[in-house]
Amino acid sequence: MAFLTLSNISKQFADTYAVRDFNLDVEKGEFVSFLGPSGCGKTTTLRMVAGFENPTSGRITLNNSDITDKAPNQRNVGMVFQSYALFPNMTVAQNIGFGLRVHKEKESAIKDRVREMLAIINLEDRGDSYPYQLSGGQQQRVALARALAIRPQVLLLDEPLSALDAKIRVALRAEIRSIQQRLGITTIYVTHDQEEALSLSDRIVVMNVGVIEQVGTPFQIYNFPETAFVASFVGTLNTAIAEIVDCPNRLLRLDGIQLVTADDLQGRQNGERVRIAIRPERFSFVTEEKKANVIDCRIENITFLGAIVRIQVLIGSAKFYMDTFNNPFLELPKIGEQTQITCSREAVLVLGDAPEPEG
Amino acid sequence: MAATYLGKVAAMITRLRRIPFWSWFWFLLGTLYFILPLYATLEFSLEMERDRISLLAYERAFADPEFIETFVYSNLLAIATIIISIILIVPTAYWIRLRVPEARRIVEFITLLPFVIPAIILVFGLIRIYSSPVQVPLTDITLLQPLTNFNLGTNILIVAGYMVLAMPYMYRSVDTGMRTVDVRTLTEAAQSLGASWLTIIARVILPNIRAALLSGALLTFAIVVGEVTLASFLGVPAFGPYLFLLGQHRAYEPAALSFTSFLLTWLAMGIIQLVTGGQGQAAGAH
Repeated sequence: MAFLTLSNISKQFADTYAVRDFNLDVEKGEFVSFLGPSGCGKTTTLRMVAGFENPTSGRITLNNSDITDKAPNQRNVGMVFQSYALFPNMTVAQNIGFGLRVHKEKESAIKDRVREMLAIINLEDRGDSYPYQLSGGQQQRVALARALAIRPQVLLLDEPLSALDAKIRVALRAEIRSIQQRLGITTIYVTHDQEEALSLSDRIVVMNVGVIEQVGTPFQIYNFPETAFVASFVGTLNTAIAEIVDCPNRLLRLDGIQLVTADDLQGRQNGERVRIAIRPERFSFVTEEKKANVIDCRIENITFLGAIVRIQVLIGSAKFYMDTFNNPFLELPKIGEQTQITCSREAVLVLGDAPEPEG
Repeated sequence: MAATYLGKVAAMITRLRRIPFWSWFWFLLGTLYFILPLYATLEFSLEMERDRISLLAYERAFADPEFIETFVYSNLLAIATIIISIILIVPTAYWIRLRVPEARRIVEFITLLPFVIPAIILVFGLIRIYSSPVQVPLTDITLLQPLTNFNLGTNILIVAGYMVLAMPYMYRSVDTGMRTVDVRTLTEAAQSLGASWLTIIARVILPNIRAALLSGALLTFAIVVGEVTLASFLGVPAFGPYLFLLGQHRAYEPAALSFTSFLLTWLAMGIIQLVTGGQGQAAGAH
């Protein structure tokens, strides 16, 4: 049995389901992220694990014990909040030691543990400071240390980096991952930032309108999205409507341009319209190497994004993005120029039925 | 050192000069409105002896044993009122913020009722209900003698009455204090660390609304010490009725006592500033 199991969890507020039929097994020491847009139910699910919300139906078990009806203070689950939630009346050391004092541990043991936690978060000299004397990043590290000090069975992080600026966010997320791996603590991390989820997690749960869209490793989620939502939410994606022209040979037609896909079209029929998706980085200019698909296009726009150059191309009447790594010797076509680009058959993802044309 | 000090003074003057004229005007007008009556009371209290300034009115007022007795009694009533108000109002305001925010308007309305229901109505209601014995329904068995018949009972009644009178001030102070801290998230953080409700209130919530509690306590103190209606009709030896009676027979002593009570209030405010200075800074920076 998994270390943490959420079975058929649903949460209803009035007439609306915030979470519906959520099933997940989390192994001990695993780092799982809940990823999705605002209102998708990821925080509600996390709060049900913490005990701040009661599920309308379903069970939660932790380390072979049913915790569904346990009070939050009986679960031994550490939580880190977006707004840090440090106690303003206590010093850093008192904040970190709070949970241990509540559990009536010996004063000498508390001191040792606080010292240990301060060393882990690299704030050894700030034990006597008050939260308002620390920067946002430091406050969040203290909040992390406070949650870890009680040796929780599971660590829950609710968008912990959202209130921080970009540079600190990147540094702190690496620190969170490093501490999590060092301590081997089972962690659930809620975020709407795909980059955070992709860089931190062992597995990602992509959620939308209260349901799980896909569960998988970052590699699976990015490269093999199972639904149109996952494909569009994680990373930049070109989508278009294509027509199936030859099911057995997996041939599609997009505005008169023929494409071949690696996806199985079994069960579909010729002439059926489907939604296809191609990631921008899967395109390249045709040089000596031609892949399965060679597409005529016109250069519409070129944008420098630092390490990446994003080129907008017109394929038939559909606008697509193509990404290529920047380098000082990069030779780019001119805007308005006709050229050819190429992509492999695996790059062409068939996501599902196309919506019915209007009218 | 001196140069640093002078620099600070110069910077302060520059800051003060930047404040617009009308701000100064309204500030000074407000200050005069409060200071002038106080100054008049002080001057009058010092003129008991003809043609010379003296502290005779103060000496006589403080020498009266009834003053000490009523003042101590009212102070004890005030302390009891403050403690019980905190015990009742803090968990109420906390629970409303945390779990039933939709009830906030109703509770605010209830806490404002003492402004529209005069103290005389309250005291007659209390006397009417609690001057009869409490009996087991449909029997002649008496559970409790009339509260107005014995001292402890009367003290309980008057503290309950004072709690009602002080409720608008205490509730609003506590509620405002809770608004300045993120009560919900702090509670959840403490819960996830294993804290019980009692621990959360005592070690997380109360210390973070200390300034608000002290403000509420000060206002409650001022109300109780000066209150006349409830104390007179319940017949207790409180400071309010004593001051009122003194004012009917003497001229200078009431002025001396009024000025003294102002000083005591200001002293209490100063203490609040001192005690909560650090917290204000923390809250501001947070």
